Amino acid sequence: MSNVPLIEISNISKYFAKVIANQEVSFQIHKGEVLCLLGENGAGKSTIMKVLYGLYKADEGQILVNGEEKEINSPKDAIALGIAMIQQHFSLVQAHTVTENIILGNVHGRFNIQTYNKIVADLSARYGFEIEPTAVVKELPVGVQQKVEILKALYQNTQLLIMDEPTAVLTPQESESLMKFVKQNTQEGKAVVFITHKLREVMEVADHIVVMRNGRVVGDLRKDKTNELELSRLMIGKEITNRTYIEDPHFNQQPVALELQNISVRDPKEDMYRIKEINFQVRKGEILGIAGVSGNGQNFLCDAISGYQKLDTGKILLNGVDISDQNARERIQKGISYVPSDRQRYGLILSMKLEENMLLKSSFEDKWVNRGLIDYNKLEAYTNDKIREYDVKATGPDSLAGSLSGGNQQKVILAREVDIGSEVIIFDQPTRGLDLGAIDHIQRIILEEKKKGKAIVLISTELSEIFGLSDRIAVMYKGEFVGVYKNHELDTQKIGLLMAGYTAEGGKTDVQ
Amino acid sequence: MSSKFRDLLVTNILAVVAGLVVSGLLLLFLGKNPLEAMGTLFGSLFRDGYTVADIFVKATPLMFTALAFGFTFKANLFNIGAQGQFYLGAVTAVGFSLLMEGRLPGGLALVLIAALTILAGGLWGGLIGWLKARFNANEFLVSMMSTYVALNMMNYALRTFLMETKAEYPQTNPLDTSVWLPIFIPRTRLHIGFILAVLACVGIWVLLYKTPFGFRVRAVGNNKDAAEMAGISSKQIYIAAFFISGALAALGGFSEVNGVQHMLVQNFNPGVGSAGIGIAILANGDPIGIIFASILFGALQVGGNIMGQLSGIPSSIIDLMLGFVMVFVILSYYVREVWEDRREKARLKKAVNL
Amino acid sequence: MIISLLTRTITMGTPLLYGSLSEVYSERSGVMNTAIEGIFLMGAWAGFVGTYLTEGNLLIGLLAAVLAGILTAALYGWITIYLKQHQIVTGTAINILALGICAFFQRVIFGIPLSPLIVRPFQPIAIPLLSKIPVIGPILFNQNILTYLLFILVPAATFVLYKTSLGLSIRSIGENPEAGDVAGLKVEQIRFLTILFAGIMCGIGGAFYSIGYLGLFTTTIIGGRGWIAFAICFLGNWKPLGALSGTLIFGLAEALAIFMQSRGSGVFPNELFIALPYILTIVLTVGRRSFNVPAKLGVPYKKEG
Repeated sequence: MSNVPLIEISNISKYFAKVIANQEVSFQIHKGEVLCLLGENGAGKSTIMKVLYGLYKADEGQILVNGEEKEINSPKDAIALGIAMIQQHFSLVQAHTVTENIILGNVHGRFNIQTYNKIVADLSARYGFEIEPTAVVKELPVGVQQKVEILKALYQNTQLLIMDEPTAVLTPQESESLMKFVKQNTQEGKAVVFITHKLREVMEVADHIVVMRNGRVVGDLRKDKTNELELSRLMIGKEITNRTYIEDPHFNQQPVALELQNISVRDPKEDMYRIKEINFQVRKGEILGIAGVSGNGQNFLCDAISGYQKLDTGKILLNGVDISDQNARERIQKGISYVPSDRQRYGLILSMKLEENMLLKSSFEDKWVNRGLIDYNKLEAYTNDKIREYDVKATGPDSLAGSLSGGNQQKVILAREVDIGSEVIIFDQPTRGLDLGAIDHIQRIILEEKKKGKAIVLISTELSEIFGLSDRIAVMYKGEFVGVYKNHELDTQKIGLLMAGYTAEGGKTDVQ
Repeated sequence: MSSKFRDLLVTNILAVVAGLVVSGLLLLFLGKNPLEAMGTLFGSLFRDGYTVADIFVKATPLMFTALAFGFTFKANLFNIGAQGQFYLGAVTAVGFSLLMEGRLPGGLALVLIAALTILAGGLWGGLIGWLKARFNANEFLVSMMSTYVALNMMNYALRTFLMETKAEYPQTNPLDTSVWLPIFIPRTRLHIGFILAVLACVGIWVLLYKTPFGFRVRAVGNNKDAAEMAGISSKQIYIAAFFISGALAALGGFSEVNGVQHMLVQNFNPGVGSAGIGIAILANGDPIGIIFASILFGALQVGGNIMGQLSGIPSSIIDLMLGFVMVFVILSYYVREVWEDRREKARLKKAVNL
Repeated sequence: MIISLLTRTITMGTPLLYGSLSEVYSERSGVMNTAIEGIFLMGAWAGFVGTYLTEGNLLIGLLAAVLAGILTAALYGWITIYLKQHQIVTGTAINILALGICAFFQRVIFGIPLSPLIVRPFQPIAIPLLSKIPVIGPILFNQNILTYLLFILVPAATFVLYKTSLGLSIRSIGENPEAGDVAGLKVEQIRFLTILFAGIMCGIGGAFYSIGYLGLFTTTIIGGRGWIAFAICFLGNWKPLGALSGTLIFGLAEALAIFMQSRGSGVFPNELFIALPYILTIVLTVGRRSFNVPAKLGVPYKKEG
């Protein structure tokens, strides 16, 4: 490793309107090393890298490239300096082909798409990716889309590749192969920054680790001089303990609350199934965890249960009664509630007040209406109670939902859904993007509801969460359930195989 | 007063002033003294009771069309067809007035005519909402086009079955006084249509902010996805919102025909739709704000007309003022966003440095 | 008779194509040009004034129209792209302002004229040889120069959109502006460029009505046809060739309307034919579901920091 660092980040501070994202952040990145930026959600890791990449402008501090101070005002400048960034939500134009995405910003004047198709094909082969240049990105599975992003960075001949939470959308096996690629890349003298909150990954792939907390750097160490315990203490100030599952001896004895019989939903346009022949039962007081890489039909399943999606075949029964023909509003009134994964789009109306958000699913009910007008006094009191009960950090029921932090927003949604969901609650990625304190709180709420005897469906891509909370675990792959197991029957390796479409023993299934 | 509301008031007043100043400066091109002209404009407003009352007369149809745009705006829908719905309301009102005058007692006739106007405007507007709900048609384009269609329908009616018995011009016979909207301030033109308009504004405010239906309209307007997920049918809301919107604009037509013109001529009040949009934007869609903004624009119209008579300034200055005020109002939105942002950052920096 | 109808179709379609072609570009980049009617009006007015004041110099008039179009579009673009304000609200404001400016300054410059002001508009130029071809000849090659310009503009526009990096960039930022930003594109600049292009094209389109066809100016001269051009982009699925097809349909509708009016329509009222293009727009708007709509159309690109 050379003495002059490839990149030196010096005393960078970045303020947003509501939060200090980075405060006096300083560290170095050397050629040929893998740097892991470690920290829990909200620590400021993505922000500092976006400043380096020119997506954000620092309020204070400098950046030096190869010892010289540089002004990086836009991604164009960063790319010119050999820096590439792959974000969590891919920056790909879904409607365009692989080649069109790769050459975006990299061609000038007129071009012949065939020429570039060939170049992309060659590049792809050189790195062992199997990507069809003329494929439309929208049709590609998420793991392949990520490869397209990587290919684009390689095309631009980058010296520093930044990857933001890249394994969030991959199966355990895909994560393995990504990390192998990362190590290969650095052998060629390039540098890689891996932003993550997963300790295991850090210990596996890092050479150099920078730990961030609340916008500051709290640790700058070499991997071989530290361990997971120390890292977790730096990250959150105490040890991270994954929630351990406590077996409930009674769960199998309760009556069945929710039953899905042979549910299928077709996609008429593309002649395939979005969910196919799903069968399961959830009992009162049981948590059924559904694992699987995002995009394998989980959303359609949730929509089908909640009443937003019509079924092509099959029936849904609530406490033995067929509710397949009931619409969403009727199911809400019957006690089925849903905490959506995209909470800012589907869960809350950010521009409305908290009390109005609490009313959102209940405006049809008489209990809030007095002589044709909304009883705001009652609503305000109710909201206040909930704010206290769930420890929501807000100034009052008339705060706008958009002014709350992610964790507090989720608590508001939970407060509402838990009240509505007297029979069944569906939790879709309930702790994604939240800090550890919020995660713990929300998981406790889920267990509370289980104790109250509700039937709970938990969808999550965090395996630790699935294993920590579920009584039984199902895995979804390409719209089908590839198995329903008791918690103790699965481990990370087996579940990884199921998530990738194999059997738990590693054989092929007949799911297409 | 919260800082946000204070910001809104201050920047809106500044925007209006800026719009008037710029328009005033353009008067220099005509060789007129802007200060003198503006002085005439505002001074003339208070010269007698009749003129003051005329401000409210002019404000009346504006309130209706502004409410029409503002209501659908709250549902994140764009009803650009208020002008056409206004015309349709006028045609319905004049048609049924001619039919019923003398045959029914005046009061009863007026109530019936108002009800029929509401129905006609509501159906015409509701059709647009239905097209959006059923076919996901772009309501912006459809409502825009519907104005031209309504205009032609009106012209056709005035040329044929509604035409005056003299058959000289494309206009109707004058209405019998029994179906005139009564004037409630003597020695002025101020008719009860104004009261109707104010009641409509208050009613819409209550509807939007105090009733479950209004809540659902606003929910759909703020975040359609979350509203759908909450079991609210955005399609039903679209149809209902456009129905109400069309009905409101149509009532504007009724108020002008039965309250002021007492007949129907071609091309009357051609700018009432766009002015309504401008007013709704100035008031940020708030029905109570619309009352005040409409009165302001009414004053500008009355003053502008007098300015035209006395100083020979063309009436197009009013359109110019409206246009500039609207642009400055939009700029004021931007300014407020920047202020709010800076305030938050400063607050944050203070918290850090303490 | 059919020939004269089709000839008129091309003529009446010309301004619509200028408008819809530019709309394809701006909407592909993610911006709806809701000021289109106002820009058309400014183009019509400036074109007329420029021509009249230079005693018939149509070229100066055309340049004036282009300039007016660019200035108006720049104002719209600045407010919606850089200040990130609402596109429909801003467009409406500018349309109203344009009306006020034209009416006011028409009065300032000309006072109240005793007789209507007219200029000699662009005359059709018959292209030697080509205009003699049976059928197509008179229809396509006996038009005025503004129409002929389109013969070059349409293929050029198609080529640029699909075969150049500028076109790729435009198409990409309409779908996913963040992807463009991350790839190093200047999103706002590109969008502003498409709006300025709209200013030029719509300025010419508007001028067509005053100095390309009628030879006079009134504030109602555009009569909603800017909006029809706007609709054509939508109906043509955001493709230049789609805009061409849409334009031909509407051009035909307008030509038909004029034809029926002059003939005395008998059974159908005149007003029905005047309303025909607008009704047609409604019908087609309802029928077309937004297939190819750029994903981020109408959404200002805001990024934190």
